[in-house]
Amino acid sequence: MIMIFLLILGKKLLKMHPSKSIIFFTVMSGTGYGIIICLSFLALIAEINFNYGFKLSLILISFLFITLGLLSSTLHLGHPERAWRSFSQWRSSWLSREGLAAVLTYIPLMLFYLLWFLEMDIFKYFLYSASILSVITIYCTGQMYASLKTVPAWNNVYVTPIYLINGLSIGSLSIYCLTRFYESEIQHLYQFTLLSLALCLMLKIIYWFHIRTKSTSSINTAIGLGKDNKVSSFEGPHTGRNFLTTEMINKIKKEKANFLRLCFIILSCILPIYMIVQEATLIIDAFILKLSFFITLVFALIGMLIERYLFFIQAKHVVSLYYGENKV
Amino acid sequence: MTSLPAKQNKKLGLVIDLDICVGCHACAVNCKEWNTSGHSSPLHDIDPYGDDPTGVWFNRIHTFEVESEINGSKTVHFPKSCLHCSDAPCVTVCPTGASYKREEDGIVLVNPETCIGCKLCSWSCPYGAREYDEEAGIMKKCTLCVDKIYNENIPESDRVPACVSTCPAGARSFGDLGDENSDIFKLVEERNGYDLMPEQDCLPTNKYLPPREKNNQFKNDALNSITNDNDFSFDTWKEIVEDASK
Repeated sequence: MIMIFLLILGKKLLKMHPSKSIIFFTVMSGTGYGIIICLSFLALIAEINFNYGFKLSLILISFLFITLGLLSSTLHLGHPERAWRSFSQWRSSWLSREGLAAVLTYIPLMLFYLLWFLEMDIFKYFLYSASILSVITIYCTGQMYASLKTVPAWNNVYVTPIYLINGLSIGSLSIYCLTRFYESEIQHLYQFTLLSLALCLMLKIIYWFHIRTKSTSSINTAIGLGKDNKVSSFEGPHTGRNFLTTEMINKIKKEKANFLRLCFIILSCILPIYMIVQEATLIIDAFILKLSFFITLVFALIGMLIERYLFFIQAKHVVSLYYGENKV
Repeated sequence: MTSLPAKQNKKLGLVIDLDICVGCHACAVNCKEWNTSGHSSPLHDIDPYGDDPTGVWFNRIHTFEVESEINGSKTVHFPKSCLHCSDAPCVTVCPTGASYKREEDGIVLVNPETCIGCKLCSWSCPYGAREYDEEAGIMKKCTLCVDKIYNENIPESDRVPACVSTCPAGARSFGDLGDENSDIFKLVEERNGYDLMPEQDCLPTNKYLPPREKNNQFKNDALNSITNDNDFSFDTWKEIVEDASK
């Protein structure tokens, strides 16, 4: 059943338009940065000296998530080899700021990995600075979308906090699942993970209610022939598709969107919370426990991918007003 | 630099008269014709003769139906290309500085050497003016025929954008919309030219002129005379037409 579900999902993912690489990038990097931010919170209030195996897997997972995400983000570019040019316009462009912050994060991050592994106490300062830069990177990603007036579903105050809290919740869940795997305990991690997961769910539901309100842009403002007149598209500029209709005008059925929302709520919020809270009653066997937490994490990541997919596909661009929509 | 210029010496742009446009698509065709061999050449087409053709066009003509209580139902042809906004979001979002607005005349252009093809500018534009060329991997857009309007190798009368020089109905005008003494500025004042989606705060340079109000008096008179006057003849009709044209 699960395999069939994943196969169908995989096929859909390959075909769909909102750029796969962007969805993968924002989720993966967000998770990696979330791990770093969560670790720095834990380091503030507790000791985070674990055994080598645990440390090494945390280092590897966060590094791989961040790096694979960033690499995949260059895949949607027409000229990936020119990506370095995007560090120049940080004065005006959130995308440029995001790229710059992402690269700068690596400096304290690598030093933190090294010093933490060598058990040198100053690692904390590098962890804190890496964590601040991680927050800045996710903030820039969020702002890039939130600053686009052309997409009312993004142009609001919820988008950036959602990016931050999503990264944080899945990041702390990753650490939590690792502690189950290595059978260790970190103080306050239990409360921290539950809190961030609950916040993540709450914020997303508020967001979904918020985006039901329509923007002030309508077909009447788009072509400007009287605000009380009934205006409708009579004929498109051509019968085929074009760049705009494939890139920006995506449609999803309401029932399908609601189903996917439910998938996100269950996979990324309810299931992890249930697993964490009910862990004591679930212990049958140490191996099964480890396995079930691993599966929980994989499901939560899939849920996050679904959430990001919805974020893109449900974002109606005002240009669709020229292609048959009356409201956005 | 992707910051907008502090001042603009000129605001070159287009004025499109929706009262005149007949929706013949000639402006779009000539735009493609000029630009596929000009500054942005070539404007690639993908699968041009196949089942699913698509390609880069800088100008597209939409058609809308407007129903109003006073004027009844009306078909409006609506050409749309880059509006060369004063506060162009496509310029400020560009991470590489490839997208820029010229200080000397306000034209918004893309540098094909530095564009990375991230498509963010197309997302920031409310009007759908930017086109991604899949073959070239970069963004392209209306250049206001920058390679034609300043071209000293062609007669001076031809130094207007291709869409303007080709329009058979004279629905398109070109000029400096920042100059209060220019003909084009006066035309906009006289005909109540307006901005598209002003709530998006892009301050577009291009203006649209609304269709003129219908003169229903003439039509009503004609109809009344047909139905009421039993002696209706060609001469009566001619009289009405002559009266109306006075």
